Amino acid sequence: MLVQQLVNGLTVGSLYALMALGLTMVYGVLRVLHIAHAAVFTLGAYGGLWTFAATGSFWLALLGAMAIAVAAGLAMERWVYWPLLAKPPIATLIASIGVFIALEEIYRIVAGPEPHSFSVPLRVRDVRLAGVLVTAPQVLVMAVTVALLVALWLFLTRTSLGLALRAVSQDREMAAACAMNVRRIVRLNFALGSALAGAAGMLVGVYYNSVSPTMGDVTAYKGLAIIVLGGLGSIPGTVLGALLIGIVETLFIGLVEFPFPRDAWAFLAMIAVFLLRPQGLLGR
Amino acid sequence: MKRCITLIILSGVAVVLAAGPVDAQGPIKIGFFAPLTGFAAADGASAKHSAEIAVDEINGAGGIKGRKVELVVYDDRHDSKEAVAVANKLIEKDQVVGVVSGSYSMPSRVTAPIFAKAGVPMTVAYAVHPDVTKAGPCIFRNGFLGQVEGAAGAESAVKIQKAKRIAVLTVDNDFGRVASAAFIERAKKLGAEIHSEQVYKLGEKEFGPYLTKIKDEPLDLIYHTSYYNEGSQIARKARELGIKAALEGTEGIDSPKFLELAGPAAEGVTFTTNLNRDDPRPEVQNFLKRYQAKAGTGADMVGASAYDAVRILARGIEAGGTEAKAICGALTNLKDYNGITGKITRFVKGEVTKPVQIQIVKDGKVRSFAVIDNPEVITPPAQ
Repeated sequence: MLVQQLVNGLTVGSLYALMALGLTMVYGVLRVLHIAHAAVFTLGAYGGLWTFAATGSFWLALLGAMAIAVAAGLAMERWVYWPLLAKPPIATLIASIGVFIALEEIYRIVAGPEPHSFSVPLRVRDVRLAGVLVTAPQVLVMAVTVALLVALWLFLTRTSLGLALRAVSQDREMAAACAMNVRRIVRLNFALGSALAGAAGMLVGVYYNSVSPTMGDVTAYKGLAIIVLGGLGSIPGTVLGALLIGIVETLFIGLVEFPFPRDAWAFLAMIAVFLLRPQGLLGR
Repeated sequence: MKRCITLIILSGVAVVLAAGPVDAQGPIKIGFFAPLTGFAAADGASAKHSAEIAVDEINGAGGIKGRKVELVVYDDRHDSKEAVAVANKLIEKDQVVGVVSGSYSMPSRVTAPIFAKAGVPMTVAYAVHPDVTKAGPCIFRNGFLGQVEGAAGAESAVKIQKAKRIAVLTVDNDFGRVASAAFIERAKKLGAEIHSEQVYKLGEKEFGPYLTKIKDEPLDLIYHTSYYNEGSQIARKARELGIKAALEGTEGIDSPKFLELAGPAAEGVTFTTNLNRDDPRPEVQNFLKRYQAKAGTGADMVGASAYDAVRILARGIEAGGTEAKAICGALTNLKDYNGITGKITRFVKGEVTKPVQIQIVKDGKVRSFAVIDNPEVITPPAQ
């Protein structure tokens, strides 16, 4: 049963990782907390839902979800974050929260307040290994997550663009001094992070068969706890933090007879990190 | 100074002139609040549609003693501060004759004392918390108490579905706690074994950890207090994990959204409610048809209860007039009211005694499964 619960935790953790990566990447290059990222995540779910309704293809829907999320992320960079960059960080933070709330309300007005079902016939099947059951939706979530993370890792470590991105996140001014087009890298960064969030939104929608305007609420604050836990701006740290939080909250619900809300664990972990290791698990 | 006094007198005359005739000839205002936005918005929309159907029917039949009824609708956003503001608006600005709660326990519970203090009669569609009707003598509940629903669920689970080992999943709010406790007490009394009770947070989406824990236990039934969001996730996850035990829920999942979100996993799920879709009475079937035409989806418990709550208040106004005390008296003396969510013999301390319907999802449709009318179970507990 412990292993079975680990599978549950890993599934939830993979979804958290996809959601939180964009958050940490944006923090990495701009040093702002991108709360509106959660709205990008929700938009991805709706984008996937609409594309699926139009095409009937899971993969096209996933692409659609990522595309609309990228568009939204770039728009935010263009009209919110970049113009406010010279202002104190609190201005960006407040603007970001404002954008998040406004977008949630727009989703509610456009798509209606009630949840929509997102039912996709899955081609994958349950996997049974030594008595441990990995259900078809879990297989799908984990496979897509691993594929996207591997692609991201290859991009960051094997391409010159990836190298540039890492350079900008390490020191934006130094990179600019080396004649790099920082703005282009920032945009690329928003595009990548938003694409992952869009994919996460769609996967969450399919996994729970439910897409609603407020589905980003949890993402908005739990994502922060995850990136703090992992080390702000650290990509491997975020993945590790997300998986850890997914597993810890699952194990606690599964093994302890104590009705402590799952979301509280993320914040306990965050507080512990602040006290013991302020730079995060893998922070610099 | 003289001018000032004249002004005061004049304005006093103006108020009398303005208030007098309008009050007698204008529409009768009935206040209504429901969660029209937020997580409970689907329920809020259902309650509002149904309340409007009730008002349309009343006005279509000539209104109450020749006066039209006007429904004053507000959104409480399932937020206690908002609900209090709405209550004050209804009392002071709109000066409603009576009010209908189309909302959950929390907004109903915080507003009931305000309406009671202002002397505004109140009918409550489906909120389950016992405190709602305790706030004053002029608050009447159309729905069941959580205790009644839980106990009726146990009757269905143990006596009708013959479950011997039962696991319970409880949503951590007033409704869930009360209904699950009553279920457990009654089920044990009837001889069933309660394998476990797990409590989860309202809004929980991931039931993997909870259900994995009981996955390999020989269970006959899982009883869950939940709303359609959580209830549909429970059903999906249980079937995904290959759990064969029967699933029984409460009126919280009595919604077309449950069928939509749970998909095929909804099949065979039973739940306690007050709306019987297979009720042959024409008023029930007419309401179901009208609702379908207006909202585009099937009617649910929330809507049917809101419809009844509006019509009960209208009946009180018809019998007593627009004075609060008279409405109160009329509703206290109400006898054998033929509601679409069951016949109300009379209100006892604001509570009803009516049979609990057990409905089942069959071929994607909600059908009648059983009726619990054991008086020991359905009589509201005297406190």
